[in-house]
Amino acid sequence: MHDASSGRMARRKVKLDVDSRALVEYADDEPSTFASMLGGLIEANVRTRPEKEDDFDSLVARVGIWVTDIDEGVTLDFKGGKLIVHNGLKPRRTLTIRADAETVMSLSNLKIGLLGLPVYYDGVGRGVAAKLLMGKLKVDGLLPNVMTLNAVTRIFSVQ
Amino acid sequence: MAVKAFSNEWARAFKDEVNKSSIYKSAAKGWKWTVGLVVEAEPDKNFPESKGIVMDLYDGEARDVKVGTAADAQTCDFVLTAPYSRWKEVATKQLDATRGMLQGKLKLKGDLPTIVRYTKASQEMTECTTRVPVEWPDEK
Repeated sequence: MHDASSGRMARRKVKLDVDSRALVEYADDEPSTFASMLGGLIEANVRTRPEKEDDFDSLVARVGIWVTDIDEGVTLDFKGGKLIVHNGLKPRRTLTIRADAETVMSLSNLKIGLLGLPVYYDGVGRGVAAKLLMGKLKVDGLLPNVMTLNAVTRIFSVQ
Repeated sequence: MAVKAFSNEWARAFKDEVNKSSIYKSAAKGWKWTVGLVVEAEPDKNFPESKGIVMDLYDGEARDVKVGTAADAQTCDFVLTAPYSRWKEVATKQLDATRGMLQGKLKLKGDLPTIVRYTKASQEMTECTTRVPVEWPDEK
């Protein structure tokens, strides 16, 4: 009889295809429109753009996004292959992005260039960089988490 | 001269404004989907029946803008729905359309990555609505 406790079983890491697994969950019974939009945007991106899958599967970070002109925010809790979207800002965030609605939309329009880095030298990129310099786009926790921000930008980008 | 809100005359004036906009022309390059605006009835605002605006937009050009029923607009690839007074807020610059969508004041149906990719075009389209002089039924 096989004794499961005594032997070592060969284990294979099974990676489910993005089509067959739930990628995004909502922590709240009634997700805000903003939470639904961001969750829906990321889910559509990962499902339709294979190049985003590796970032999505490896990213573990809690990212807050606060939209200053509508006083609403979300926390995107990336758990390595799964995203849980919370209404509002939750504690223990790795990064928090604060900007107006237009700038948040611009972030998702950043192009991704060489080495998977966001492009800050075209029209959209210069606009985002200028807002960062003028303090209209604030990223709390940026310095120790630049790589995380780049990964989030790649997942978030629709370009 | 002011035109009646969401009438055939309004649709023609709006189409002309869109086609006059060089910003829209360049920002909407590559767009090839229809857009429907559902304007929900608000009888207390003298807007008794819902209407649908069907926009045939293609590659930076408004090929056709028609006023029909809400059901007509709902068949479009992208559908934005809001009560009459919300649309009036958008057209009079009291509500930014992007903010309205994020807050759920304007309900959006359609592929999100596509609409986000064309944020600038949709903002310019909103600007075009603000340039059409309108006679509002609740201001009569």
